[in-house]
Order: sequence, then structure tokens, then C-alpha cells
Amino acid sequence: MIAVLVVVVVVLLSQGLLKSLNYFETVDQALGQRASLGTKVIRLEGVVEPGTISRTNAGASFTLTGTRSNHVFVSAQGSPPQLFQANIPVVVVGHFVSSTSLDFVGTQIMVKHTSNYIAAHPNRVKAPNGTTR
Amino acid sequence: MTRMLQRLLGPVTLASLALTAWLGLWVTPPDRVQGDLARLVYVHPALAWVALYLSFGTATIASVLYLWPRTRSVTADRVAVSAMEVSLVFILLTLATGSIWGRPTWGVWWAWDARLTSTAILGVFALAYLALRRANDDPTQRARRGAVFAILTAINVPIIHFSVLWWKTLHQGASVLTSTGQLNVHGSMLWTMLIGFVGFTLLFFWLLRERYRLEVKRDRLVASTVDEALAQRRREGV
Repeated sequence: MIAVLVVVVVVLLSQGLLKSLNYFETVDQALGQRASLGTKVIRLEGVVEPGTISRTNAGASFTLTGTRSNHVFVSAQGSPPQLFQANIPVVVVGHFVSSTSLDFVGTQIMVKHTSNYIAAHPNRVKAPNGTTR
Repeated sequence: MTRMLQRLLGPVTLASLALTAWLGLWVTPPDRVQGDLARLVYVHPALAWVALYLSFGTATIASVLYLWPRTRSVTADRVAVSAMEVSLVFILLTLATGSIWGRPTWGVWWAWDARLTSTAILGVFALAYLALRRANDDPTQRARRGAVFAILTAINVPIIHFSVLWWKTLHQGASVLTSTGQLNVHGSMLWTMLIGFVGFTLLFFWLLRERYRLEVKRDRLVASTVDEALAQRRREGV
């Protein structure tokens, strides 16, 4: 009985089950395999680039950045979650417009916040360069 | 001394949970990114800690002790079933508070990522364990099968713990038990979180003790009803 279980687990592992448990593709990964992705619906993760957010009646459009200065231009429908803002990592459900395009059509935005908890200091002044003091 | 500690368990639990609520809701500052939503950090991780490690862990260790011939005892079996029931309650609370937290921050009530899915599976395992025990009237067989099942399903606990490292998940990584040893919670928020951990840990022991006592009473009741039935049959001259 236990031997059967072990065999099943090993088979599943070797079949790449563990890889498929990833919830999203990063911008870098998605661009790397864009040709094969085509217009398949995926979950795309990246950081919202500051200054690129424009909110529309239907939703929002913004640029997602990967780690190697890769960019994807997202236009997503539906109102974004309340934490949606510049510089925050998000996961967008949607698809590329074509297998060569950098345009991504989203149907849902999820905010993937970090595990850092730091007190907000509303009275601090924000300097023009973005730092607070 | 022990008796006094036992008596204090309930009041100290309530006091530390009340302290957590007061610190969490009024004293600690809002978070830079999440604002007031971050206050769930004083509750949700502590519930998960009790659900996965304390209760499921206790149930697993008690199951091992039961299966090991030298340490086999009714006590171990009672502890196992009591801890598993407490675990189920805390798993459900973890999923509920996580969902309530996820809706405003992530934007969704639920995501089928590795952390959430594996936790839900653990909940199903806990339910299955309790169902398995109900399906069997023979105390020895029930205890043995339950123990084997608990130990097999405990493999899922480290999977849940490392899921946020092994796979890309929507769920955030660790804040306190990080792989680098770095603390990601700051100042009074950290203290409040740790007091919350103490409070919910005490709550686990309190619930476990009460549930254990219930199990003892239930066993006695079953034994006495069997004795009574036998005595009645004798009186009837069967």
C-alpha cells in the first residue's frame, strides 16, 4: 500500500507536476516563451512601473516590469483591488494579443503584496525623489 | 503547583488574547502598504501556526506514540483524536481569515496556488481522519488505523510550510520564520504578533485539555452503558 503511494508520488514528480504548481509566469519567463504561449490565457506576474498607470472606465492600463528590464503593456478590465498602485507586484490573468506582441489583455488583476510590515507614517513628508523623511 | 497552572490556563489565555486584540486594533500603527488590513497579521499566521504545527503536529506525535508498542496507551490515542479535532477547527479559521484578508488585498477570496490548495487539502485530511474514526467501533482497530492515517497525511505539513519557497504562489512568503532569518515585521507590530502567537498557543492547550476530558467522559459513558446492558440481560435471566 505504502509502496504504491511512493511509486505514484515519484511518477507525478517526474511528470513535472511540481512545476505546474506554479501559480503564475513572471514577465521574464512569459517573454522567454512568448512564441509558444501565443494567445493562451496565463497568469502574468510583474511589478507595476511607476507613472504608467492610467485608469479607464473599463479598468486600467499600465506597464509591468520584469527583473531584466523586460516590459509588458497591460490593459486590464474590471476595477483593480484597492492595494493596486505603482511599484507593487501584481498577477494579471489574461493573454498576449499575439505571439509576437508585447501587449497583454487582462481580465483580472490580483495584487501580490510582500510579507513586509512597516508602520505607515502619514505625517512624514515625501521628497520629490520618492523617499520619505 | 500543577493544579494552579491548570486553573490559570483559561484566564491567562483570555487575557493574552484580549491583550492581542487591544494592541492589534488600537495601539499598533497601520502598515505602509496595507494600512489597517495589515492588522490581520496578528491573527491569521498565529491560527495557521496552531492548525499546522501545534495541533496537527501533536496529533501526529501522539499517533506515533500509539503505534510504538512501548509507548502505546489509550491516552496517546485520546490526545491524537482531540488534537486532530482542534486542528480542523483552526484550519477552517485559517482559511476563513485568509480569505477575508485576500479579498481586499489580493482582490480575490481564493486562489488555487500551492499554499492555499495544500492547506485546504490538509483540512480534508483532518475531516477524513475524523470520518475514519467514526467508521469503526472496535477501539483498538480505530486507534491503529487513525494513527497510520494521521502519520501518512502529516507529510503535507512540511509541503505547506515550504510551498511558498518551492513554487511561485500568490500567497506571500514567511514574515517571521524566513529562510534567511530576517524579520519582516517591525517594532510594536512584531511584539503584538508574538503575543498573539502566545495567546493562540495557550488557546490550543486549553481546547485540547477540554476536548481530552470530553473523550475520557465519552469512554466512561460507553463502558457504563455496556455494563448496564449486560446487567439488565442478567436480571432478565438470559
